[in-house]
Amino acid sequence: MSYVTELSKMVSSFHVPGSGDAGPSVPEFGFSPQIVLYPETVEEISQILSFASRSGIRIFPFAGGTKLFLGNPVDEVGAALSLRRLCRVLFHEPSDMVSTVQCGMEVREFQKAIECENQIFPVDPPLLNTGATVGGLVSSNLCGPMSTRYGTCRELILGVKAVRADGEIINVGGKVVKNVAGYDIPKLMVGSLGTLCVLAEATFRLYPRQHFSRTLVLGFDNHVSCSQAARAILAADIVPTCFEILDENLSSEFGTTTQGAKRTILLRFDSFEEAVVEQIKEVRETTLGETSAFVEMTDEISRDLWAAAREFPFLPGVSFSSKLTLPVTASVEALSDIESSPALSGVDALCLSRPARGVTLVSVSGEDEQAVSAACFLENLADSLGGRIMFSGIRRELREKVRAWGDFGDALSLMKNIKQRFDPRDILPGEKIFDADRG
Amino acid sequence: MMGSQAAKRTGRWKSRIASELVGILGAEAVISAEDELIAYESDGLTGYRVKPVFVVLPSSAEEVSRVVKLCNREKIPFVPRGAGTGLSGGALPNREGIVISLSRMNRILDVDIPNRVVVVEPGVVNISVTDAVSAEGFYYAPDPSSQIVCTIGGNVAENSGGVHCLKYGVTTNHVLGVEMVLPDGAVATFGGMTPENFGYDLLSLVVGSEGLLGIVTKVFLRIIKKPQVVRTLFASFERIEDAGASVSAIISSGVIPAGMEIMDNLSINAVESTVGAGYPRDAGAILLVELDGPGAEVNAQVPAVIGILRENGAVEIKLAADESERQLFWKGRKSAFAAMGKISPGYYVQDGVIPRSSLARVLGEIGDLGKQYGLRVANVFHAGDGNLHPLVLYDPEVEGESEKAEELSGEILRVCVDAGGSITGEHGVGFDKKRFLSLMFNEQEIDTMNLVRCAFDEEGLCNPGKVFPTPRTCVEPGMRKHGSEAPSPKEMGELF
Repeated sequence: MSYVTELSKMVSSFHVPGSGDAGPSVPEFGFSPQIVLYPETVEEISQILSFASRSGIRIFPFAGGTKLFLGNPVDEVGAALSLRRLCRVLFHEPSDMVSTVQCGMEVREFQKAIECENQIFPVDPPLLNTGATVGGLVSSNLCGPMSTRYGTCRELILGVKAVRADGEIINVGGKVVKNVAGYDIPKLMVGSLGTLCVLAEATFRLYPRQHFSRTLVLGFDNHVSCSQAARAILAADIVPTCFEILDENLSSEFGTTTQGAKRTILLRFDSFEEAVVEQIKEVRETTLGETSAFVEMTDEISRDLWAAAREFPFLPGVSFSSKLTLPVTASVEALSDIESSPALSGVDALCLSRPARGVTLVSVSGEDEQAVSAACFLENLADSLGGRIMFSGIRRELREKVRAWGDFGDALSLMKNIKQRFDPRDILPGEKIFDADRG
Repeated sequence: MMGSQAAKRTGRWKSRIASELVGILGAEAVISAEDELIAYESDGLTGYRVKPVFVVLPSSAEEVSRVVKLCNREKIPFVPRGAGTGLSGGALPNREGIVISLSRMNRILDVDIPNRVVVVEPGVVNISVTDAVSAEGFYYAPDPSSQIVCTIGGNVAENSGGVHCLKYGVTTNHVLGVEMVLPDGAVATFGGMTPENFGYDLLSLVVGSEGLLGIVTKVFLRIIKKPQVVRTLFASFERIEDAGASVSAIISSGVIPAGMEIMDNLSINAVESTVGAGYPRDAGAILLVELDGPGAEVNAQVPAVIGILRENGAVEIKLAADESERQLFWKGRKSAFAAMGKISPGYYVQDGVIPRSSLARVLGEIGDLGKQYGLRVANVFHAGDGNLHPLVLYDPEVEGESEKAEELSGEILRVCVDAGGSITGEHGVGFDKKRFLSLMFNEQEIDTMNLVRCAFDEEGLCNPGKVFPTPRTCVEPGMRKHGSEAPSPKEMGELF
């Protein structure tokens, strides 16, 4: 019996591509699985992986399929495993502000499900409105502007139910906000791109919805004024939910009201009304003399602006997108380093910094040769500033020269050791993270 | 096997190892005299005592690395130790091992205010970090009650919390990077000056690993701005359930206080008999709520919280008028553990976590258990995050009572786990609670943790005998040892 037949018997729903049957739409994988499986229970996932590990069949787990551009390309696999049928909220105790959700559920749907209790799951990942799922969120750890206040998924995750590559079901972490029993395996899953386990359920800490929200858009004539203001904001007695710095091109792309400004700062405050008003006043006083524009927006008017910031830099049609993780002050200055570099003069580059997180995001479009030079420059820049870099959405023609991951440093050998321990037969494609030719 | 290995540990062996250690560290940094070893026999959990063969006091990562390499060559188990304030026996020595004390690695290496990072050696005392940046308007948030003596290395090992972690998180939320000596002696750095990183989150594994994954030799700490305003409220209640209900209602209203602490009647009276904090002796419970942040925000939160306290039956509500009154409110809470010594000759501090929603039920069950065992249980807890610290009172002079207290403490953990909670919120599993780990996790789950341990420490020499309820090998990932099967040489580390 072929493995496709064996696997198909383990689930109530599957699709064999090329069989003539019109199955559910699947994302453009870049490889050709022989079968796409749609398990409905954790036990079905366990059965699939148990069989796969015994038979050496490689399995590619996915949910929304919205972030396939992350990491290295995957070699051929035997089967793709969709989590889309695991899409329910399993537990929500409002007074504990904790919820457990299946990983195939869309983040947006999960957020809707809990908002009736006046609570929020404070993440705004890219592709939120186009199918980003809870599983993808945890696996990628891609978070948006709200990470300034709430941190990333790493800060919110409390527990996971997952299936190991050998089929064992594990329930690790817990459902309480404080817990130091055993190693923090849930955090190990965050950002692991599905290379260690298949995530079935995740438990998160939630936050209360705030009463009042306002956005500020600050324009600057030059980068010196902007840096000055950014440092003053970082030092001020304020707690912004979001804090982003845009370069001129991106500001124009977003259609901000500060068009023409060399730099734009976006800020959002969420709290009691009087507290928001007071913090806006503080920003105004702190940045006095530096700004060329100071615009206050209601939550409703600023919605599109924040959606644009959330989606950046994962834009279609670019040569690549990159994320630099830097020390806080370096992320404030990185925009100027990038803007003034001759290596980027031949490409269209858009940049955004999220200073409180030490994150700088860049998208680059241009001829291949120039794009490669730009990538080299960015990698060297991250290195020289004491940070690291990740490239994603790399145009096919550039993949030989632009690797998804920069240097992992001392962590690489231990990361490989962990992968080897969790999945000695590489059933869950490790090449997403580990370059085959880097040892 | 064990016997044959032990037989090798002769006087000659000991003097050879001593001489090598002295060669690495100098004579003044190697302790082997019986009377000097006594100070290292236990950590803060003094019920367990083991005398190690040596204690060493390295001054650099390189020295730690050389000692660990020696341990690997000789298959000697080693136990890292900070200030020894831990409450789970995590730094309990191994009788055939070496204790590596980090107390001499106590320098603050860098204070980088613009990047909000302080780089320290592991032996730096927790409060010293805040002291180093306080003048600049910053502080280090995790504040375990032992913060004036406990060290950052120990905080990293235990993922320590404190009274303010509801809003600001625990140690793992404030460590940006570590340099560590891995169990094979190699020196590696994970994370650093950047708030975010890529790849597997090794840093999150190391923080809270209880010294089983290596020895941290440098820590990059995130510091945060001191809040503009801090206001502290005190409320008394007839019933502890109402205090608990207030906690949930405050958070649900959109307010996340910096800290919320509850003490029950027995604790109140113990405190009043010792420090006289001014708590009402007849109250069923008191609740302390600390609000901090931008002035306007805190000023908006105070009346909202007072309203909630009233709605939930608070008998008396006081807002600290100034810093000295605020300190008075906290004085009682901070003295609570010590105050137990005044009302009972012995007490056992437990550390369990429950969902906030089950507070009333769990406290009832703890009360019932106390009656069943004929022992008093005082309750002091970080109410915001459901972290209970029941104090089981007993008389060590009464035969069998300490055993009864220990048994009752274990039963309390079962109640916590049954309620959906955890066996530890901040003290760690260590030696003391390893037998309870299987209340929370099944064999596959514990085996999965062992996969991590084996990835770091295949020889099992780094702080063996802690956390895992039964010895586990790395020969076949996840395999447990059974019965009296002879262990392979790779398992030796577990047995010393």
